Amino acid sequence: MFPNFRLSMTWLHTWFGLLLGFVLMVAFFFGSLSVFDREIDRWAIPATRIEARPMPSFDTTLAPIFRTITDPDPDELAAAKTRVSQPLPDKLAVMTWSAFTTHRDPVLRMFVEFKVPNSPLPDDHIHGSITIDPRDGKQLPENRLAIGSEFFYPMHFSLHLNWADIGYWIVGFAALAMLAALVSGVVMHRKIFREFFTFRPNKKIQRSTLDLHNLSGVVALPFHFLWALSGLIIFAGLYFPVLGTMMRPLAAAQEKLEATQTGLDLEPSGTPGTLASVDGMVAEAKAMWVERGVPGEVGFLIVHHVGSSNAYVSVYRDNTDRVGGGPGLHFQGSTGKLIHEDPPEGAVSTVNSFLIGMHLQRFKHWTLRWLIFAGGILSSVCIVTGLVFFVEKRKRQHSEQRRSGARWADALAVTTVTGMVVATLAILVANRLLPEELAQRDLWEKSTFWAAWALCLVHAIWRSSAVLKARTSPAWAEQCWAIVVLAIGAVLLNAVTTGDHLFKTLSEGYWPVAGTDLMMLACAALAAIAARRLQRRATAAARAVDQDSELREVRHA
Amino acid sequence: MPDAVLLIAALFTACLGMAWLALAMDVHWKQVCGSASPSPVISKLLRGLGFATLLAALLLCLEADTATMAVLVWMMALAVAAVTVAFVLSWRPRLLAVLLPWRRPTAR
Amino acid sequence: MASVSHPPWYVASRVLASTLGGYAFTWGFISLGAMLLFAAGMNLEEASSLSSMLGFLVLLWGFCWAFVAASLTRVWSVLAGGGVVMPAAGWGLSRALM
Repeated sequence: MFPNFRLSMTWLHTWFGLLLGFVLMVAFFFGSLSVFDREIDRWAIPATRIEARPMPSFDTTLAPIFRTITDPDPDELAAAKTRVSQPLPDKLAVMTWSAFTTHRDPVLRMFVEFKVPNSPLPDDHIHGSITIDPRDGKQLPENRLAIGSEFFYPMHFSLHLNWADIGYWIVGFAALAMLAALVSGVVMHRKIFREFFTFRPNKKIQRSTLDLHNLSGVVALPFHFLWALSGLIIFAGLYFPVLGTMMRPLAAAQEKLEATQTGLDLEPSGTPGTLASVDGMVAEAKAMWVERGVPGEVGFLIVHHVGSSNAYVSVYRDNTDRVGGGPGLHFQGSTGKLIHEDPPEGAVSTVNSFLIGMHLQRFKHWTLRWLIFAGGILSSVCIVTGLVFFVEKRKRQHSEQRRSGARWADALAVTTVTGMVVATLAILVANRLLPEELAQRDLWEKSTFWAAWALCLVHAIWRSSAVLKARTSPAWAEQCWAIVVLAIGAVLLNAVTTGDHLFKTLSEGYWPVAGTDLMMLACAALAAIAARRLQRRATAAARAVDQDSELREVRHA
Repeated sequence: MPDAVLLIAALFTACLGMAWLALAMDVHWKQVCGSASPSPVISKLLRGLGFATLLAALLLCLEADTATMAVLVWMMALAVAAVTVAFVLSWRPRLLAVLLPWRRPTAR
Repeated sequence: MASVSHPPWYVASRVLASTLGGYAFTWGFISLGAMLLFAAGMNLEEASSLSSMLGFLVLLWGFCWAFVAASLTRVWSVLAGGGVVMPAAGWGLSRALM
């Protein structure tokens, strides 16, 4: 596009970085929080502040509960109604029952898949799900929002824009832009090794911002690249549904062939059947794991063709000791006999499940979990500094030319950086302030999040006129103060409303809540430091203007 | 040795290796030691020491975990270590002088 | 960056080639790649997963190359051409392999 390679790459880096930087900020920030989604859930649902426990008995606890889940999620049902030619029956047939848990889950999520008949899509189904307390099998109240796993985590990959999966596509495009920004960034950066450790916080803001951008980008380059890439790979079936569309006939034929080899039927037989003791199957699976030297708990359990004579049960290990997944054991439902064991993964599947596994982090390794969180924060820093640098580089020139581009970029940057943190803390504060029995409490919490974010946008736009005069928008510092107030407020509210103050959680070693509180305090401290520095700089700049002297000299003094 | 000790050692070693790599560079040597640049021999030695120490960090990771996990821990530890060293260099560069025990501290 | 100025349609054409063209090209790469690997004896799921993983790198290459290549005509003919020919070939192979 330009006469030389580097210029083209610079153009790509600048403009796609700016356009998708806002989305990337959301994806990486909420991705970082999602590393600790279960811990945030514990903070947000005090009734579940109990130790994590293994999968309870299927026969006595889970089976009776599965039978009570007879209705799919109303939103999914409404969506399904629009894609079928004929009206749906009152009761949809149950396809599968499944339960999923990890070493960090004190509660258990249970899922039921319902078949959608007369659908143009193959294997069309919708879900019903509940969360139970495995100690007594009681369902958690439905208006409790698991803020970590049900709000921050889906935000990370879908932006909560579910219509036509548009959010997934935007985040996917942003991930591609991230990869392209890394490649072009390496091309643009002339001193990757010479400035590997370089950060000069006392230089002009434009210089130190670029230093931090380069530093965070370069030292964690493998992390940035691998996580953006594995994020795309996780949704490969959505972005490139080759087997599901164009090659469906071949894929279906292969599935049929495979089913005859494994004995795991694709369709229910049509004749009713009974289910043998699933606890017996689990016991056999655990015995087999012990025999192989990899004892473990059950992570995922699924009953296929529920109620049918050819039902089968698949049992998967929780694999806390490895990055990727592991083979499943499949038992005949009627007899409880092992009918098939997944063969060891080939080279391709091993790489695939490693990439997906490192992104999803089901393993039990707290050091690595924290390091990955740090990696996510480094990505966020890299994106923020990129956006700030864009504005810093242009604001003087735009101000002289009376253009407002830098102003709008700055207002959006404030909104996606400090504004996003404000919204994140606002939902946690709302979570502690709203009355427990409020109808649709979860909806109120989510609305608080969006309202706080919208307010930050308005505030950022209102205050951004300073950028027109080539100054720093006061919105940065002001929203930093809002972060300080909200973060400390959330920690105090948690102490007051639940009694789990830091002295208690720290002395008891209850890390999910202690960690969340400590992170919010750390966030408050950082925001306070940032706000003070920004305001000191602004005062210095204003004084410099008063004295009609050179801006630069004051900053150096 | 318990895994926690190994992992803490790995993180520490990664920081050490990164610090020596930084000290092998003129600009950071000057930040830490004052004016003089390291002699080419010292610079090469520091670089070798740095890389060897980073390798030692990998071995510690491999001792603590299975290979796939260990490689991830090491990769992330390097990133965090590099940032840590960069921040020390920007705010408290003189702290790194302890990594050059054969040099007498130079008066400013 | 303002040193060379292009008419808006030219920039738009590059952007479209990099995104839509790159997407079509990658779709072709993944479908044809999966079919060739499958024909060579790899299990279908592994074949499609390998070609998808490599496909995202192809997507990245196409996205960048569309801005770097000197000739816009070449960009369009490779990306769109590959995006038509490769999926068609992949589709044909998939029917032939049934």
